[in-house]
Amino acid sequence: MDLSTVELTPEQQAFQQEVRAFLDEIVTEEVHEHERRTGDGFNEGVHLALGSRGWLFPAWPVSDGGAGLDRVCQRILALELSRREVPMVTHSTTGLVWSAVELSADPELAARLKPEVAAGRVRFCLGYSDPEGGSDIAGATLRAVRDGDEWVLNGSKLWTTGAHNCQYTFLITRTDPEAPKHKGLTMFLVPLDSPGVEIQAIRTYGGERTNAVYYTDVHVSDTYRMGDVNAGWATLQGPLSAEHGAGRPDDGLSDIGMTMGTREFEAAIDAAARWAKRTTRPDGTLVADDPAFLDRLGHLVVETEAIRVTPGPMGRNKSSLSYIAGIAELIDMVGPEALLAHGSEGAIEDGVIDYAHRFAQGTATYGGTTEVFKGMIAQHVLGLPRLNLPGSKAWVR
Amino acid sequence: MERFELRRQDFSLDEDQQAVREGFGDFFTKQVPSSLVRDAEPLGFDADLWQRVVAMGATSMALPEAVGGDDATLVDLVLVAEELGKVVAPVPLVSHVVASRLLASAGGADELVAAAAGGERIVTLALQPVVGGNRQLVPDAALARDVVAWSAEGLTLHTVAEPAAHVPNQGSTPLAWFDPAAGERTVLATGPEAEALFRTAVGEWKLLTAAALVGIGQSALDLGVEFAKTRRTLGVAIGALQGVAFPLADVVTELSGARNLVLKAAWYATHEPRTRPDLPLAAFVHAARAATEAAWVSAHTQGGLGFTIEADISLFFLRAKGWSVLGGDPGADRRAVATALLASV
Repeated sequence: MDLSTVELTPEQQAFQQEVRAFLDEIVTEEVHEHERRTGDGFNEGVHLALGSRGWLFPAWPVSDGGAGLDRVCQRILALELSRREVPMVTHSTTGLVWSAVELSADPELAARLKPEVAAGRVRFCLGYSDPEGGSDIAGATLRAVRDGDEWVLNGSKLWTTGAHNCQYTFLITRTDPEAPKHKGLTMFLVPLDSPGVEIQAIRTYGGERTNAVYYTDVHVSDTYRMGDVNAGWATLQGPLSAEHGAGRPDDGLSDIGMTMGTREFEAAIDAAARWAKRTTRPDGTLVADDPAFLDRLGHLVVETEAIRVTPGPMGRNKSSLSYIAGIAELIDMVGPEALLAHGSEGAIEDGVIDYAHRFAQGTATYGGTTEVFKGMIAQHVLGLPRLNLPGSKAWVR
Repeated sequence: MERFELRRQDFSLDEDQQAVREGFGDFFTKQVPSSLVRDAEPLGFDADLWQRVVAMGATSMALPEAVGGDDATLVDLVLVAEELGKVVAPVPLVSHVVASRLLASAGGADELVAAAAGGERIVTLALQPVVGGNRQLVPDAALARDVVAWSAEGLTLHTVAEPAAHVPNQGSTPLAWFDPAAGERTVLATGPEAEALFRTAVGEWKLLTAAALVGIGQSALDLGVEFAKTRRTLGVAIGALQGVAFPLADVVTELSGARNLVLKAAWYATHEPRTRPDLPLAAFVHAARAATEAAWVSAHTQGGLGFTIEADISLFFLRAKGWSVLGGDPGADRRAVATALLASV
């Protein structure tokens, strides 16, 4: 066990200063204002600036467009980006897709894209969920039909977050409707400027923008196929399997769970704590002196402590479910001031609690719902039997 | 609180720590079948088992070398306590070890510390401050002639001729009323030092009890999972049904977090005791809840059978609450955790 503060070498200290100074410069109030306005989870200026330093893929060698950072410097960078609430949604989908590109794309295509991805000029989003499919992405219905050296795509996808800021989508398609569910899928990297692609905005009450993407007779060269025909499920799982094979580096320099929304939850709790110290109730008593308030606040703090140390996919569920329940409780503890929006008179710390409450709900759905994860935990952690339903193995429409 | 601190998050156990866990895990599994736990009711003490626990070094390992200990850390102790909790071993190890450590650091008489290290003399501590002549229920006081307590007067060792009378209780623990006016009194420390020693000891008791509760929760969960794999309904194992499986998935999620939070608190208490004194309390709050949830979910998974005395889940159900409540209302700990946050934001 080692939970100690990491001692920095002079070079690492200098790097930390460099990161802080650079982020001070590029992560301006305007960046946050842009994010509040658009909900894009992406800021092109910041993304390109990070790319110019090799900090989008900081572990890559400099010759590949990375920064060749050691693990400690990678962690320094990640913590500073998180501290400054840099919008990173498109950055993270790009990273996820890149792992698949590296494993499964045509090598020439991968070689051509790599420097562009590192520089931030090429970004990827996830074309996973069909409108009727939700988390059951292997049930994809969007059709791809071969036509010589090309494929023709017809159908639609929901929740393609960042599509309007990306150059390609990592698309799961149905290529053999007669095959078993997981054996008739093929993955493509589809250029989003292809004729027949239409992107429509969808807004969440978490302040985010995501998209519906419609594909009408979209022609894609076979060069953009990822992995073998009808082997799409393996292509999709590839990065995940590779990651599991290699394991998490055992140096304690990454989070131990897959947390969702924990930064927002903690920010709201801290804001409520500061509010309690400076706020008196109508009867003149200080909120921070109220034992009932402290008891409830203490419960939320314990929950965040637990979230931070709950490992792997269990942390994913714990983080969402505790956050959703806890932020609703925090609103009650603070009262209507908690729901004053950014810019309203009397809003607490620019509306951080209001935002955290609206944002919480989505975290139980992103990346597979908490129910999908409960099923995985039941099977893989507890060894409980899998429930076989009509659509478990067969493609049921 | 600094939320973006550059710290390692390495929860892996080193070889020695793994040996402690496996050694005590094997020991408790072999030595403590559920029949032994039942036979030790209602007092909750098996004198032969206690001798074997002492022989394993459990009572001396975490004392300073100067008084015959091995300087084992709180990380080692929480590993032992979790294994003890897994079999709900009827021995007063947690209170005894914490009170022994307290006596050693507060300058208790050498003979007493040596007798405690050797397990010949069982010692315990009163977890609530003593106010006036008010009595309180003290864990393991039905076995111990020596009770350490703290009041405005200081940290005091109370020694009585015979342990107080056992009061039968839901968790089958050697609980007894402690009368601060009874017996001989020796003041060990006074002033802020006395209070600091007392608070540290209560934190250690809660931390080790949290570890034992994680063990209780784990065994409860294992019983529920085993039942869910083998019991069938409508042609499938009930564990295939989401209504049965998902609550069990929630339980393992809570327990995994509680186990790591206990380890984290133990690491800080060992290496940086002043940085996060609230962590043992947070770990206790979380582990108490997780164990309570594990026990009722597992019992419920087993349906009517889980409500019978013959079912082993009954042992864990009754102790998940029966052991955790000895520390008082976790609400007080939640308030302390909140107060620590208020001081840091």
